[in-house]
Amino acid sequence: MTVYLRQVAAIVRKDLLLEVRTGERLAAMGALTVLVAVLFHFAIDQGLVRMQLLAAGLIWMTILFGGMLGMGRTFEMEREQGAIQGLLTSPVPLDGIYLAKVVSNFVLVTLIEVVALAAYWLFFGFNYGNDPLLLAGVLGVATLGFVAVTTLFSAISAQTNMGQTLLPILIFPLLVPVVIFGVTATGRIFASRPVQEVEGSLYLLAAFTVVALTAGTILFRYVVEE
Amino acid sequence: MPAAAAASRAGLPVLEAASLVRDYGPVRAVDHVSFRLAAGEFLSVFGPNGAGKTSLLRLLAGGLRPTAGEVRVSGIPLTVGDRAARARIGILSHLSFLYGRLTARENLRFYGRLHGLDDLDSRVPDRLADVGLEGYADSPVDTLSRGTVQRLAVARALLHDPGIVLLDEPYTGLDAYAGAMLQELLSALKDGGRTVVMVTHNLGRGLELADRVAIQVRGSFVFEAERADLDAVGLERSYRRAVEGRA
Repeated sequence: MTVYLRQVAAIVRKDLLLEVRTGERLAAMGALTVLVAVLFHFAIDQGLVRMQLLAAGLIWMTILFGGMLGMGRTFEMEREQGAIQGLLTSPVPLDGIYLAKVVSNFVLVTLIEVVALAAYWLFFGFNYGNDPLLLAGVLGVATLGFVAVTTLFSAISAQTNMGQTLLPILIFPLLVPVVIFGVTATGRIFASRPVQEVEGSLYLLAAFTVVALTAGTILFRYVVEE
Repeated sequence: MPAAAAASRAGLPVLEAASLVRDYGPVRAVDHVSFRLAAGEFLSVFGPNGAGKTSLLRLLAGGLRPTAGEVRVSGIPLTVGDRAARARIGILSHLSFLYGRLTARENLRFYGRLHGLDDLDSRVPDRLADVGLEGYADSPVDTLSRGTVQRLAVARALLHDPGIVLLDEPYTGLDAYAGAMLQELLSALKDGGRTVVMVTHNLGRGLELADRVAIQVRGSFVFEAERADLDAVGLERSYRRAVEGRA
């Protein structure tokens, strides 16, 4: 493993260890995820609406709101005792810091997705289709794109007085492709449609993710450098 | 410190500030600051609040981009994100850069990994012993006193054997005992041949260790002297005059 990858791994490991010790972000994200599912359970008259048709949209909205809540605090832990200066003046390349934050956020959001799928299955009995690998692939690619954009913007919002209030305003317009293609792809997987009907959305999600990761890797430097 | 030693042998300054300027919008925080330090030299920079001392140190650490001028490490211009140069610089601030929920050992191992160090199993206990914290290795930083955290921060700053050490108000929040212990540690740094820049309000502490002193006011060095040419009374008089604008 190169020094670069070891540095990235060290930051990921530290972030996840801190999350395990404090549970701050995961607890808030998990609670919101379950709460949103509970609220939808009571807010929608299931006698009038075919819930399965709404499954992909509900799940994606829940993941986006829950994920946003936790990722908005990505750089909070680095503010404590000026740790961000420790990172920025260490030999770790700035893009390495960004990638590490993307990976640790990806892990957290993936856990939230498991919680969301379980909660909606429990409250609504959703059918998630018969291709779990394809579902995991779509969720993984879309989550990576979501996390890539949100991590960059949480670095921006961390430097403003408005902080987390600003994050959703900045980020939601940029997440429209994730919502459109993520919902389309997962909806078709839930409906057990042929793979060919999912491929188009999956490729567009992958393209979005590649662009988001590339842009984030390049732009992060300009966000944190003074 | 092979690079520092090589630079010293070649007659190059280990650390050089060349007409450094840093603006924050319309405010000039660092105003044409220049100096050269050889291996083993200790520069103390004094100044009132808002003089630009911390900005100067961040420029020297490569954590802040200069508006004009440059920093050179062993003759090579330091750019923001310069990994090799950063590996040769250690920074100690009044903020510890440590994570409260991690133990002392975990913090040092984390920073060791960032520096790509391989011998952490032996290096971390050694550094903890250097600062007298071997008994606190598994204590979360949140549970340690301010003085103990600062000693751990010293261990963090020196973990990778930097040739250049930058100190930003290292005595802040320390009681007399912890301050004296830190003074001993800094003295050992100097004796170890490290090039040190310390910015501080504490005239006594700063003068005690310095080879050279400078007083920074409104971004500029308005007074510079060799330690040998200055005593505590002279420094205090010079400081007062500099701050009052009579330097």
